[in-house]
Amino acid sequence: MSDAHDSHGDFGDLQMGTHHVSSALQFTSVLIALLFLTIITVAVAQFDFGGANMLIAMGIASVKAALVILFFMHVKYDTAINKIMFLSSFLFLSLLFIFTLADRATRQMDHRAHTIKTPVASEWVHPNTLNSDH
Amino acid sequence: MSHDDHHSVVIPAPGPEFKPHTVAHHFDTPVQEFQSAKLGFWLFLATEILLFGGLFAAYFYFHEQYPETFVVGGKQLDWRLGGLNTCVLLLSSWTMAMGVRAAQTSQKKKLLMYCGLTVLGAAIFMVIKFFEYKAKSDHGLFVFSEMLGGYDTATGQLPWFTDIHGVMAGVPHGHMFFAIYVTMTGIHGLHVIIGAGLIIWIMFGAAKGRFHAGYYLPVDLVGLYWHLVDLIWIFLFPLLYLVP
Repeated sequence: MSDAHDSHGDFGDLQMGTHHVSSALQFTSVLIALLFLTIITVAVAQFDFGGANMLIAMGIASVKAALVILFFMHVKYDTAINKIMFLSSFLFLSLLFIFTLADRATRQMDHRAHTIKTPVASEWVHPNTLNSDH
Repeated sequence: MSHDDHHSVVIPAPGPEFKPHTVAHHFDTPVQEFQSAKLGFWLFLATEILLFGGLFAAYFYFHEQYPETFVVGGKQLDWRLGGLNTCVLLLSSWTMAMGVRAAQTSQKKKLLMYCGLTVLGAAIFMVIKFFEYKAKSDHGLFVFSEMLGGYDTATGQLPWFTDIHGVMAGVPHGHMFFAIYVTMTGIHGLHVIIGAGLIIWIMFGAAKGRFHAGYYLPVDLVGLYWHLVDLIWIFLFPLLYLVP
């Protein structure tokens, strides 16, 4: 068997291979960082940075996500194939976002959509009737 | 090793309060069993990312389309409750991580305690979510009893969006925000409930001594699922409660 290099501890060859045991201190440090970043998220939302607000909010959320993935989910210590398997989903996610938002950005919008006066229920028009009076 | 001899590999229990683990017969070694299950679970989590990814894409698209609708809609949600729930989920992710650590180090009582605390976090989260949903339903922003109803063809109204106080009257398509809010948090909430059920299942196994340093695979996988629930909420909180 070639699994000997994966084995540690008292179980020898029967050990499961990937078992990095993180310290409690590391988990607690990550938790404190996550709670701190949550406060930052709420704090920056009180200011108007224009279009930058979305980028800042998503930037902080991405840092928090990275902390959860790397440490709570042990991805930092996982095997290469597992890293590729999980992190590749974010690659495909970016394709989904890029093409969806590229479509939105280059589409000739129907500006009437922005001038519809009100969505108060009693004044709504059924979508099917919009094109029916030729 | 020959595949013809079908004697099973057994991982011994590290103490009298634990049970040995018999490796499934279609695996040659415990390492193979662990890595196969783990790879499969990461693939499943990748599909979960893409499931929520479609919803996030819808959010970003309609946020671009009706930015003022999303800002006004977001103000109808209580960011203090959302923030509290964020802290609850982060804490429960910590207890879950500590629970997996307890399993890895054969600490049965600690594993049970941390799993119990994680389920408590899930329960607190869902109770807070219930009161949030109830308030939205009472204000006609998302009427749950009508949630499957489409447009009323006679009146052109959506039965689940009556906006009793007219808070969304000044912006176009006010129902869009709440449709996205309920869909995203609803599917997320479903994951919270499923995750809590899985952790309770882990607790039954832990009580029987099934999980220890030699075998903690199910604890590890359920832990990953729970962290994914946390991961999704980390993005939902700023996007829905603090609409940028």
